[in-house]
Amino acid sequence: MEGPAIVVSDVKKEFLLNNSGANSIKTALLWWKRRKLRHLQVLKGISFDVKQGECVAVVGRNGAGKSTLLALMARVYKPTSGSISMNGRVAPLLELGAGFHPDLTGLENVYFNAIILGLTRKEVRERIDKIIAFSELGDHVNSPTRTFSSGMLARLGFSIAVHVDAEILLVDEVLSVGDFEFEKKCYAKIDEFRAGGGTILFVSHNTHAVRRIADRCVWLHKGYVQKIGSPDEVIPLYESTPMDTDTLA
Amino acid sequence: MLSELKELWKFRELLFTMVQRELKIRYKNSALGFLWSMLNPLITVMVMSFMFENFLHRGAGVPSATAYILAAYLPFTFFQLCLLDSSQSILSAMPLIKKIYFPREILPLASVLSNFIHLVMALGMFFVYLLVVYLRSIIGHGGFANAESPFRLTAIYLPILLVINLVLSTGLSLFISAMNTFYEDVKYIVSVVTYLMFFMCPILYFEESVANSALNLKWGGWLYKLMNLNPVFSLSSAYRKVLVAPPKITVDNGAVMVPMPLDWRYIGWAGLISVVILIGGYATFNKLKWRFVERP
Repeated sequence: MEGPAIVVSDVKKEFLLNNSGANSIKTALLWWKRRKLRHLQVLKGISFDVKQGECVAVVGRNGAGKSTLLALMARVYKPTSGSISMNGRVAPLLELGAGFHPDLTGLENVYFNAIILGLTRKEVRERIDKIIAFSELGDHVNSPTRTFSSGMLARLGFSIAVHVDAEILLVDEVLSVGDFEFEKKCYAKIDEFRAGGGTILFVSHNTHAVRRIADRCVWLHKGYVQKIGSPDEVIPLYESTPMDTDTLA
Repeated sequence: MLSELKELWKFRELLFTMVQRELKIRYKNSALGFLWSMLNPLITVMVMSFMFENFLHRGAGVPSATAYILAAYLPFTFFQLCLLDSSQSILSAMPLIKKIYFPREILPLASVLSNFIHLVMALGMFFVYLLVVYLRSIIGHGGFANAESPFRLTAIYLPILLVINLVLSTGLSLFISAMNTFYEDVKYIVSVVTYLMFFMCPILYFEESVANSALNLKWGGWLYKLMNLNPVFSLSSAYRKVLVAPPKITVDNGAVMVPMPLDWRYIGWAGLISVVILIGGYATFNKLKWRFVERP
């Protein structure tokens, strides 16, 4: 494939916040004049590219807009203005177990999640053994996921995401779940994914992880890109910036 | 709308899987499983027909009041469950919607389709019921001579009615699921309206009773026409007419009502309005679907 894997050009994202919280026709009819809608600008014009096969980390304080950026890439939101183009199949690593139904078995949930990530049933059948083997769940996959521990959910979720053969992996702070052994396995899998030419964009507060796997670092600050560069260049600056007291609520 | 349909086609596997999932979940932890789909309406209707035969329409006769009520009641519960299930479909999948992209319309569509599968299976059981009643009447009255065949040739029209019903329910479900995401009153409105709709449709009574009522005659037949504008009304009576033999209904003065033939003009109208509702509902849904995740 030609060209960059991800192009983010001048993306802005604004949310409407309703102070009252109540959401009914009555409130809409009675209070439509007094309704207070706050506009919250989360991203205020962001541009950067991610090359094929690159691993880019997004860092920034809480409320800087990292997760919103990732959600925009996963097409959960539409940008208010600007555009994002993703070149290749995208697999967002879901918040672990987000798509799992508690009453269905692990196996049934694997099918459902993998299909949501864009596989066909046939393709899932072909790699189901690999997914189960990687998750180390064994016979447990046949019991309902409500009986799973959070570590088991995490393992299964990660295992599905890395086996859908995506070209771009979006990871939002999920690698920290699971025990040390499994974390090592995840990193090994990520290295393997990158060796195969895959692109990764991930959000993390863990600066060790960022230094370990990222080629480049995008530092978001209050909705703007503060700095882009190698982790060794950006992270010391990011860590030495004092915490702001007027963070977004 | 065309590009949205293309996108939906691309995600058809997900739709199938989602339907499968809904079917599995519904009776996952119950001992009788799918049987509830038929048991529930059967028990309801048996109670209804007890009232019906003894207090309302004495001598509705062939083959039994239960058959008449079931023929209209099963499609009606499908319609009702579709609207109620789909009103919650977006909100209950919010954790998923917030994490990943897929065409949002798959959620209400999966509710509708899984209910539709239940309807088709329940109609299958309905035919079994007719057969049982038939066999019982043969044994009871000695010989085939007195018993009418339980299956009617007009049942070949059933698919047409089912398609119209599906189109109507899908259109309304898309609209309701989108609206309920922003205004949660919608589901309460839906449950009240469908409850009232039950009485406004010929399920516990016959459309002949409406046509022959004093009120309708006083209005010069307009009440009957007005009620037929409601597609659920004309569908309810049509199901009955294609599935069960014409009823013998006696009025208070002892006269027998003439059964009315199936009026295809009203079915045509129901089909037309259903298509309009589907297009309108899908357009509304598409307009709102990107705002589901950011509802204020």
